[in-house]
Amino acid sequence: MLLLGWGLGISVGAFSQQNLSTDCKDCQQLSEVQVFGFSPEKFMAGLKVQKIDSINLARFQYQNLSEFLQFQAPIALKSYGSGQLTTISFRGTSANHTAVLWNGLNINSPTVGLSDLSTIPLMGFDQMAIQYGSSASCVGSDAVGGSILLSSVPNWNNKGINAIIGGQYGSFRSGNLNAGTRFNKSFKMGSLSGKTLFYGGNIRNFNGKISPVDAVRTDKNGREYPIEPSETTQKGFVQDLYFRFNTNKPSSYRLIYLNAWLTDNKLTIQPNIVDFREITQTQAYRIITGTQLDNTSVKLGFIRDILDYGKGDFQNPSHASTDRYIIRTEHDFISHKTAAKQNGPTVRTGGEFVHYATRVDGYGPAIIHENRGDAYALIRKGFDFNGKTNKLITTLNLRQAFSSRYKAPFTPAFGLNFNLFTNKISQLDFLGNIARSYRLPTLNERYWKVLGNPTIQPENGFNKEIGFDYKQLHGQYYKSSISINAFHNLIDNWTYWNPEKNYRVENLQQVLSKGLEINSSLKYNDFQQQRSAGLILAYSLTHASQQKVYDVYSQDLIGKQLIYVPRHAISGSIYYGQKLWNISLQGSFNSTRYFTFDHSGQPFPPYFIINTTFTHKIKIMSQDANLIFQANNLTNTVYPNVKRNAMPGINFQLAAVFNFHQ
Amino acid sequence: MLDNFLSTRTFRNLSLISLTTLTLISCDKNESIPAQPYDEGVFVINSGNFFDNNGTLSLVSRNSKTASIDIFLKENNRSIAGGVTDYSEMDEKGIILIDNSTDGKDAIEIVDAHTFKSIASIKGEIDNPRKVVKAGNNKAYITCWDTFNPDYSYKQGFVAVLDLATNKITKKIPVDKGAESIVVIGTNAYVGNVGSQKTIKVIDTQKDEVSATIEVGANPSNFILDASNKIWMVAEKELRLFNPSTRLVETKLKAGSNDKKSPSSLSISSDKKTLYCTYNFYDSADGYKLKGEINAIDIATGTSKTFINRTFSSVGFDSKSGQIFTSLIPSYKQAGYIFRYQASGTLIDSVKTEIAPSGFYFK
Repeated sequence: MLLLGWGLGISVGAFSQQNLSTDCKDCQQLSEVQVFGFSPEKFMAGLKVQKIDSINLARFQYQNLSEFLQFQAPIALKSYGSGQLTTISFRGTSANHTAVLWNGLNINSPTVGLSDLSTIPLMGFDQMAIQYGSSASCVGSDAVGGSILLSSVPNWNNKGINAIIGGQYGSFRSGNLNAGTRFNKSFKMGSLSGKTLFYGGNIRNFNGKISPVDAVRTDKNGREYPIEPSETTQKGFVQDLYFRFNTNKPSSYRLIYLNAWLTDNKLTIQPNIVDFREITQTQAYRIITGTQLDNTSVKLGFIRDILDYGKGDFQNPSHASTDRYIIRTEHDFISHKTAAKQNGPTVRTGGEFVHYATRVDGYGPAIIHENRGDAYALIRKGFDFNGKTNKLITTLNLRQAFSSRYKAPFTPAFGLNFNLFTNKISQLDFLGNIARSYRLPTLNERYWKVLGNPTIQPENGFNKEIGFDYKQLHGQYYKSSISINAFHNLIDNWTYWNPEKNYRVENLQQVLSKGLEINSSLKYNDFQQQRSAGLILAYSLTHASQQKVYDVYSQDLIGKQLIYVPRHAISGSIYYGQKLWNISLQGSFNSTRYFTFDHSGQPFPPYFIINTTFTHKIKIMSQDANLIFQANNLTNTVYPNVKRNAMPGINFQLAAVFNFHQ
Repeated sequence: MLDNFLSTRTFRNLSLISLTTLTLISCDKNESIPAQPYDEGVFVINSGNFFDNNGTLSLVSRNSKTASIDIFLKENNRSIAGGVTDYSEMDEKGIILIDNSTDGKDAIEIVDAHTFKSIASIKGEIDNPRKVVKAGNNKAYITCWDTFNPDYSYKQGFVAVLDLATNKITKKIPVDKGAESIVVIGTNAYVGNVGSQKTIKVIDTQKDEVSATIEVGANPSNFILDASNKIWMVAEKELRLFNPSTRLVETKLKAGSNDKKSPSSLSISSDKKTLYCTYNFYDSADGYKLKGEINAIDIATGTSKTFINRTFSSVGFDSKSGQIFTSLIPSYKQAGYIFRYQASGTLIDSVKTEIAPSGFYFK
């Protein structure tokens, strides 16, 4: 039965090299998603894609991506504090080298070209995958170091209406509430599925009503870090609707859908004293509507990003608002051979047009317009050897981005998955990928009156990587996996706010990032006894450094590890579950991080933090309820954020989530 | 980078740092106690990068080619939690002014001037401290901008009165917006500003009250004393000599002949005959590079000349060695350098210090 799961994992997952915590249940879900809408993983042969399982997402549903990701992967997060700006860095690149996609659309803020992960709650989406390495040919700009793929998924399997109401409360008087419904109803014409969800909450980082002005936390070496009091309130609304028409032919597929996600995140530093307050309000309206008719899809999107930043009473904040109007159409050419044997070529051709309209105080009074477009062809082909289907899977992706304001680089990529052997209990795959990548300039880089640069050029990268992926079954209940990936990513025209020119931005730097990643897992599953356990460990070694001398003082920086990038990072978890309860521990380690280019000054010391969760399912009158207890930073480790303020010590949350089935 | 986007304040602060300078205060001290590690040398004020909150003090011995870095951390096993805006010594104590990126988290650290061990920390009582000066027995005055208005304009500034016997702030004396430079002559303190006000405030140091407001020209800053206890300052982008007795501006000198450039970081030779200053501007025709030189102004003749044809962010005259110290900031994310010159203008050497060296305390 498990092997069958793997079989699925190969036919579906061979291209999306399954990592860590995938089981066959997820594979099936994945294949269902692929029928509908956006599924770039299909064209990412040779790249490392780590799917986050739904159990994990449910367990941490009250967290934001900033809190969640640290324990899922050995990646570097740059945080300004709990509930504050937090950005992600893949493989030594910077935050704007990470594409964050929601249902296929890049939701990075166009002004700064990155996503503040503290403003993205797990509540907002149903599925998530972390993709390492360059995939710009597949998903577009920004995917230079990696990408985070968030998606909403219709649930055609569970009929009826399901209402959810939940809440969480814990340390620092922080708490969350959510209420919503999932529904799935059949009509004569077809089936309607959807989800409606409201959520809201707040995050504080200090005890009591007011944090003392001299509050500090002291680490084991006697170093003091101030506690910067902050309060983040967050609210949001999610509406997903899918209507699938009944068709005569089983191969035919007709769907219309709507995804809407409205978010509002307001961070207040020093909330208690008006004169000291510093407020950042981030709002996003994201709406997608589209249709899929067999192998053709058309998608219309609207994204409005608003950022207000101000002090004191927040009466006249500095305001930035950018609208994006998106149209994307795709058609998949699938040969009959593919349909029959799953190894013929699939060609996806697509085009996208995005109109930007931005109004930012720093850009001047006028609305600035920019048009961007993309044309792409993604080709996937499997090859058989010795009668084995899809022994080799290759993808060739070609993308050309266009802009009304500058020339974007042509971006090809080639990847392959080669199955070295498969037998009854084990499987070994070789992965390879070679890809160009690019990042279009942010609006700040181009249009900021004082420091922007109208002639700034897109960055471009050249990523090469190889890997091995090994899986093995050990008897009836155990399975293990280990994968090793090595990468070499050279990014040119890397933009730099040049201090020599009073911080005007220029395409000045060239960065080389190279490293090694090892992921391993050992899992135990006894379906009959409803028992499961697992140990997951991931390690990354990263060396990312500036290569090019551009002034006399840059010699002090050449070859030195980039700021905020740890050389060694480890994430891991261990869990045990039985029937109605589950306990888990998560750990995260970062080695020394420098915050000056020349490594002068005191770097951030290495740190290790451990979180734990305990979940318990209870039945009340045939209805389900989940209790989730969470304790964070169990060892009460003192470690600083980038402002050199202390991150929170040990803290606790208790949540209850009730499900009412119709 | 995001640091750049989030805060116009960062840049405001950077430009303010580059516009302002340290008032140099000469210091005589008793020689009866055995020599301690911090009894002499040149303290370099490294302001740090705004959001990194990593200001430090380095000590450069006059006979050494390297700097002792982060001496506060070295002696106290904890870092200064913010940028450093000023350092000065009085009554055997060193006073460090600290500007944290979070409002309400600014601080004053008081250390033993001989050992640099912490004596007291005052946190959260004053905002945007700028300069500290001895104002009497066991008393220091600290000029402060206070927090900014929501539109980043200056609020009314104040002078905080620090009692060095109890290490407490005992009073805040309201002065002009952008209160910055301060000197004390007898029982009068003279307070300038960078808040576009045309006046200086005179404070009676015995009453801790403002006793007079005198018009001298916009942005009176960079106060230093000449041989006869008159105040040289930069106001209206030129050098002005203010006579505290007559309360009039006696002399106006140009620091150079380029209207685009502004004098800053004013210092004076030990014979009080020559003024030195940075004379810089951002060249919009060449990518906004900071360009300029160190100028020397002969007080007797009023003539200025290029003394060092190189761009620096600050300059100071070390009376003890007769050498001229300058500082250079390559970026706020990498260590800066100080350069030592002979009085003739010949380069002696350079020493790497820490992030954003922007002033000196000569001891």
